[in-house]
Amino acid sequence: MNDTHPSSPLIDIVKVSKVYPPNIMALDNISLTINRGEMLFLTGASGAGKSTLLKMLCFLEYPTKGLIEQDGKDVSRLSAINLQFMRQQIGVAYQDFKLLPKHTVYQNIALAMEVRYENPVKIKKRVMALLNDLALSDKIHTPTNKLSRGEQQRVCLARACANKPALLLADEPTGNLDADSTAKVMKLLAKLHEAGTTLLIATHDEKIYQNTGHRIINIANGKLQESQS
Amino acid sequence: MQYISFVIGQLVRNAKHGWTAQIMTLFTIMLSVLIFSFFLLIYTNMQKASSRLGNELRLIVYLEDAVPVNFRTEFQKKITDFEEVEDIIFVSQEDAFGRLKKQLGKDNDVLDGLDASFLPYSVEIYPNKNLKSLARIKAFSDYLGGLPGATKVQYGQEWIERFGYFISLLRIIVILSGALLILTSVFMVSYTIRLTLESRQEELEILRFLGATDSYIRGPVIIEGFLLGLLGTISGLAALLFLYQWVKIRFSGPGFMNLFEFSFLPGSTLLIIFTMSLLLCTSGSMISIRKYLKL
Repeated sequence: MNDTHPSSPLIDIVKVSKVYPPNIMALDNISLTINRGEMLFLTGASGAGKSTLLKMLCFLEYPTKGLIEQDGKDVSRLSAINLQFMRQQIGVAYQDFKLLPKHTVYQNIALAMEVRYENPVKIKKRVMALLNDLALSDKIHTPTNKLSRGEQQRVCLARACANKPALLLADEPTGNLDADSTAKVMKLLAKLHEAGTTLLIATHDEKIYQNTGHRIINIANGKLQESQS
Repeated sequence: MQYISFVIGQLVRNAKHGWTAQIMTLFTIMLSVLIFSFFLLIYTNMQKASSRLGNELRLIVYLEDAVPVNFRTEFQKKITDFEEVEDIIFVSQEDAFGRLKKQLGKDNDVLDGLDASFLPYSVEIYPNKNLKSLARIKAFSDYLGGLPGATKVQYGQEWIERFGYFISLLRIIVILSGALLILTSVFMVSYTIRLTLESRQEELEILRFLGATDSYIRGPVIIEGFLLGLLGTISGLAALLFLYQWVKIRFSGPGFMNLFEFSFLPGSTLLIIFTMSLLLCTSGSMISIRKYLKL
């Protein structure tokens, strides 16, 4: 993504609605601007539309109505090559992890860097650092289907952070973690934020966003309510 | 460099997961190449033998009576009006008798007391080398049979006709085995790779989410098809060479094989088979991956 002024908008969501068949309104005419380098929490009950919004921001879903611009580009009109390039710039920690079960922890994390044809030495260094930050060093050669859900969640987050992306989308990144692991994850996210990454974190966990000073957006019945700034 | 190591990694992983299907594909490609190139080998050798026979082709027109010397030019013109020829030889009864004596060798005493009058007059016609088509030879023979005074035309009809039909049959077999090669190369490679891709569908989907480019996904798959084609074709052609050597050794000495020079396929033909097979196998893998690039 282009390097422009830190406070310039990275994402512009303009009057976006998403309707799933037969007639389920997941998002209803929402508008939101996320600035470059911002850290923002998206809260709301299950089924409120958090995941749908995140999926649209990583091009897994497209709006039924309205416009989403990332870096000034209309995402629904991206060419295949631009779409691939944009996906490489975004780190996503999926709620269902989307890990390769028979691949090791190392292979899963390295994959995000391999698709960008990064240098193997750089990949190794980065993966080792992430495993260290998330207390997973001892699991490096373990296939991910042998890990606990909490460990899988951390691997998924490590993969999302691997490329030090311009935008990181995290869907319930602490949903399966204990307090200690949650602290480690939040520390890693804070480190990325300090390095300039824009973060959008969808969560139920009040503890991770209370008193952080970051913007919190609540989503209910597909509509947005800005609850704190 | 990273891409190459990724490709090698993928190939090794695919080979581990789907080695049975890959070995079957390799074997099928090998057999198809062997069958096709074997018939092509037989066909090209038969074609060569056919041209050699064509070079030695001679039509003999038996006549009621001798062609008077002053009519020979007109007779020759009638022949060359229909087909260009290399030579026309008028054979008198005496010449024919002399030849027969020579052919009989030590046994020529059986002709003692006989004179040449029991032998017919004839004309030997040596057609141009380009007269190879059986239909044209037959038409020429029919024409010669209709010339004034001609009683019979001989050119080894049965042998030439049978040989001609055999070559036509071989041509059909070569075409059919070529079609077999195309079908097996494209479909088997495409099927094997589709199996591999089906088992990797989840991985491909995740690669897509991570922003993998088309070339990143397509590369290893196409290289896999290419390698299957490469190994299958090399094995098939090696088997053909082995078979050729075996046939040469087994059937050397006097006999059928000595009727013509049995030679291996020329380098250019081998190169064409090799290139075609590789192209077909690579196309097979490209066909399979197309669907998965739309994820």
